[in-house]
Amino acid sequence: MGADSAAGRGVIRRAVAGQRRDVVAGSLLGACHQIGEALVPVLIGIVVDRAVVRPDGGALTLWLVVLAVVYTLLSYGFRFGARAGERAAEQAAHRLRLDVLRRVLAPHGGAEAGRPPGALVNVATEDARRVGAVNMALTLGVAAVVGVVAGAVLLLRASVPLGLLVLVGAPVLMALGHFLARPLEHRSEAEQEQAAHASGVAADLVAGVRVLKGLRAERAAVARYRATSRASRDANVRAARAAALQTGLMLTLTGSFIALVALVGGRLVLSGSIGLGALVSAVGLALFLPGPISVLAWVGAELAKGRASAARIADVLAAPGETTGGSAEPTVPAPGELRLNGLGHAGLDALDLTVRPGEHLGLVVTDPADAATLLHCLARRCDPDRGSVELDGVPLTELAPAALRSALLVAEHDAQLFDGTLLENVTAAAPAGTDPHPAMDAAAVDEVAATLPGGAHGRIGERGSSLSGGQRQRVALARALAADRAVLVVHDPTTAVDAATEARIAAGIRRARTGRTTVLVTSSPALLAATDRVVLVDGGTVAAEAPHEDLVRDHPVYRTAVLT
Amino acid sequence: MTTPPHTADEGAELLPVATAARTRAALRTLVRPDRGLALTGIGVLVAATVIGLLVQPLLGRIVDVVADGRPAGDLTLPVVLLIAVAAVQGVTTTLGLTRVARLGETVLARLREQFVERALNLPADRLERAGSGDLTARVTGDVARVTEAVRSALPEMARSVLAIGLTLGALALLDVRFLLAALLAVPVQLLTARWYVRRAVTLYADQRVANGAQQQQLLETIGGAVTVRGHRLEERHTERGADRSRKAVDLTMRSVNLVLGFYGRLHIAEYIGLAAVLIAGFWLVRDGAVSIGTATAAALYFHSLFGPVNAALVLLDDAQSAAAGLARLVGVTDLAEQPEPKPGKPEAAGRPEPGRLEPAGKPEPGRREPDGEPLPGEPEPAGKATPGKAAPASVPRQRVASPEAAVSVHAVSHAYGPGRPVLHEVSLTLAPGEHVALVGASGAGKSTLARIVAGVQQPTAGTVTGPTAGTVTAPAGPGGPSVVLVTQEVHVFTGTLADDLRLARPDATDDDLRAALATVDALDWAAALPDGLATVVGEGGHRLDAARAQQLALARLVLADPALAVLDEATAEAGSAGARALERSAGAALTGRTALVVAHRLTQAVAADRVVVLEAGRVVESGPHEMLRDADGPYAALWRAWSGSRAAPHP
Repeated sequence: MGADSAAGRGVIRRAVAGQRRDVVAGSLLGACHQIGEALVPVLIGIVVDRAVVRPDGGALTLWLVVLAVVYTLLSYGFRFGARAGERAAEQAAHRLRLDVLRRVLAPHGGAEAGRPPGALVNVATEDARRVGAVNMALTLGVAAVVGVVAGAVLLLRASVPLGLLVLVGAPVLMALGHFLARPLEHRSEAEQEQAAHASGVAADLVAGVRVLKGLRAERAAVARYRATSRASRDANVRAARAAALQTGLMLTLTGSFIALVALVGGRLVLSGSIGLGALVSAVGLALFLPGPISVLAWVGAELAKGRASAARIADVLAAPGETTGGSAEPTVPAPGELRLNGLGHAGLDALDLTVRPGEHLGLVVTDPADAATLLHCLARRCDPDRGSVELDGVPLTELAPAALRSALLVAEHDAQLFDGTLLENVTAAAPAGTDPHPAMDAAAVDEVAATLPGGAHGRIGERGSSLSGGQRQRVALARALAADRAVLVVHDPTTAVDAATEARIAAGIRRARTGRTTVLVTSSPALLAATDRVVLVDGGTVAAEAPHEDLVRDHPVYRTAVLT
Repeated sequence: MTTPPHTADEGAELLPVATAARTRAALRTLVRPDRGLALTGIGVLVAATVIGLLVQPLLGRIVDVVADGRPAGDLTLPVVLLIAVAAVQGVTTTLGLTRVARLGETVLARLREQFVERALNLPADRLERAGSGDLTARVTGDVARVTEAVRSALPEMARSVLAIGLTLGALALLDVRFLLAALLAVPVQLLTARWYVRRAVTLYADQRVANGAQQQQLLETIGGAVTVRGHRLEERHTERGADRSRKAVDLTMRSVNLVLGFYGRLHIAEYIGLAAVLIAGFWLVRDGAVSIGTATAAALYFHSLFGPVNAALVLLDDAQSAAAGLARLVGVTDLAEQPEPKPGKPEAAGRPEPGRLEPAGKPEPGRREPDGEPLPGEPEPAGKATPGKAAPASVPRQRVASPEAAVSVHAVSHAYGPGRPVLHEVSLTLAPGEHVALVGASGAGKSTLARIVAGVQQPTAGTVTGPTAGTVTAPAGPGGPSVVLVTQEVHVFTGTLADDLRLARPDATDDDLRAALATVDALDWAAALPDGLATVVGEGGHRLDAARAQQLALARLVLADPALAVLDEATAEAGSAGARALERSAGAALTGRTALVVAHRLTQAVAADRVVVLEAGRVVESGPHEMLRDADGPYAALWRAWSGSRAAPHP
């Protein structure tokens, strides 16, 4: 934790240093604002004292002009100070957001380990925002300190005893309020956390409304929601009661404090040691000072939140990669020979396999976990415990992951599509100027385009949400084919595609990848029948290899794996 | 997570938004049961504010005592009164705020419960027409905005408005000329408020959109990081992220500038009012109309208005966007109360309305009412299912459960809109206990037929008899549903695994749940979860992969225990090896039920009692797997294509 918070402090330091001009400007201008705010009640006192008590038109005009100047000063100070502070906050958050995004997308990966996407997005948005907000908190904090000091100077100039009373009393008052409210605050936070749950449950039920309808479970869902909603309501009422109590408490404390200041001030005026104006100013300042003091308390809370967020950001930025090392580039153009030498990792054991350049190989792995492990090793999402994988004679561990993936593409079963047009998705990974149509034809994406409003130029929605599962698979396959890598490894590309289309795709892949090394990790008989050779991996090692039809005829394990 | 295959939002027919008058009426109805709470809450807050207004005159009194040079003992009474005021103000404010909060929370709970209830009971085709995005946006965005307004803006606004009104009244009590002086600030404030709200509402809406877009883009990119890295799309996606982030930052800065400009203008108003009140004090004191203390109290009153005025004005845009959100929520809660309008959708003449046996009798021009005659060219269903013995023909449009058929659709046609026909006069009968596999290319109408058989979708024309009849919108009654539809759309409900399962049968015991999980081969992994059945799953909880989520859906099916189950590509989301396991689970879940299974893997067809082949919305073949495989029809061609070889041995 110590190291973590040190790294977190580094994140904050960089966030502040990167915006130091705005932070300094914001602090100075904010200080102007605070001084102005402190001066307003003092000036009200002076007007009463110099112009009203013994009516004097000249003095009134003079002091109203001074008041106008002070107003201009505080208004512009506030406006430009807050703008600088907000800009510093937003810019710092923007930079941090991109830092997090770059780290997540870095070729050696690893940032996602143990963090679901939602949590990482939270780090990139909320945590980045909180660390950025430290800049704003700093400017406001500096300004508030200046405000308190200005109030103190003004008070002490008017009257030392009255000044001391307010200066000591105001923080004591704040502390007392804070101390009395603390148990309430804790309770309220816990309550609110529980209450936030209700809106989440509602959104969740609505998101699953089709499933509920299919299940005819609307009534059960409504009953459940009602219970959650009621619990949330009760929690919120309790939280609101605590907050109301806190508000009432502060009102009573502040009011009593003002009464005390008025009493002491009144006696001082009567004893002749201060003027009437000083009393009015003191009352006004007693009302003003809790403002900047509570800003300071708020700044403290913001800084604490910023530190916690910074530690999380630092954690992500420093996450260890999935693999380390490797800087070599594969030969260009890569002939595309893939060789597994005694590969052992997780469930895989002494797996030997050679895929010849240009070969179309079917790979049937009986255990889905083994298939996943194998794909991870090929994409260098992990380095094998034993043995090696070689591309054109170079072990993958010596290759830079990004460079490797320029030559070898592992198109995973659950590969994701991205918001944009159908065509943009198909050509996303393709070399510039590639004609997308052969790939689209091979993956039967032309049929998908026909159903999409706008055809190939129609948008497919976030993660391709306006397409069906089978349509998404086809677009993902077309993207992999259009990428035109020296080696293409495709995992189960047609599980949600109907049989007729699957047969068309089997022929399409063969056509689109003629002369290019292609490995189909699948148990679809239609796809396997279109390969040159099929390797059966059972129990983590090679169990048989032959053309599909021979294996179907001769190998019972294969028959079970493929045809049932 | 997944969104079903309905295309694009262009054609989406959004859910209605209530008018302002209707929203107000709905709000009154929502508040009515708690009128007493509302009145006492406001009353106590008014009392608190009035009491608080005694502070300035009391301070003025002190000033007068001092200015007149009276004895120090005269200070005691106003000071004691100040303390008493502070105490009473504290207590009444606490009470008032608590009551207002309780009122707000109660009304809010009532509103969101009504909303969720209506939303979940919307007819499925209405949901499809609206698209899921609209409803989701309302349940997240609009509910949050209204909640936020009720929770923070409402009490603040109530106190501020009371403080402003009563303070102005108090100024008038001191001397009406103080009020007139103070009102000089109002024109500037009103103009400022109008200037601000006009810009703020659209700007903040844009900002929310930009933040949402950024969030979605990050979620998409980060969620798909493996794909991004694997396809070397890192740079493009970093650029996209930077672009969205920059847009959000720009909009935030624009709204910051707006708020700062707003405060700048309010400072002008403050100065005008304060100067005017001071000048009024100067004149009034000079003319002997008021005391110095009164003039001081007036100035302090005005100074104390700064906070409430700024708060009330800056909350105006919150209030406005909350009102807009409320109108969108009321639009949905009102839906079920009025007859559902069906704009632009061809209405089938004679389509049986729930609860009505006679045809509606309003034939539309250009549409021929399909009647119960057997259709030419339609192949007779083969296999052990005896076609419905002309039951639909003899009693057309009547919902008569035939003892011979678990479910029967007759001459059903469906179109999702004019010119978008999906099914053409399809007839299909399932005998009790029969398992029928529905096969065909994408777009052949399999899912639509499945939804109609499941009673989730009303066909444009034709009749449905059996347990699903009349169930289009009806949720399960006591005793559980008679038909359940499971699609490839998986959704794991947030909460414990047990809660998720109990949606299907709320009174199920833990043993029932375990038994259901065991039936679909899911008990092993479920028991191995960190907290077993009590493990929190779904969004934010333990993540289940697609295959497990689908097993969960099948376990729910087992718990719901319907006589008829419809599975629509319920095994498609898993990889091929996972699909096999899922098919086993599905087979177990369907044991003892009548089942219609939309099959994408032909192994499901092999296992079925009968295979029905759908092509372009028509049944083209029907019979057991072996028979169709050996015939020279479309199924045989499909089988050859799927098994990948003419030489493939018969399993």
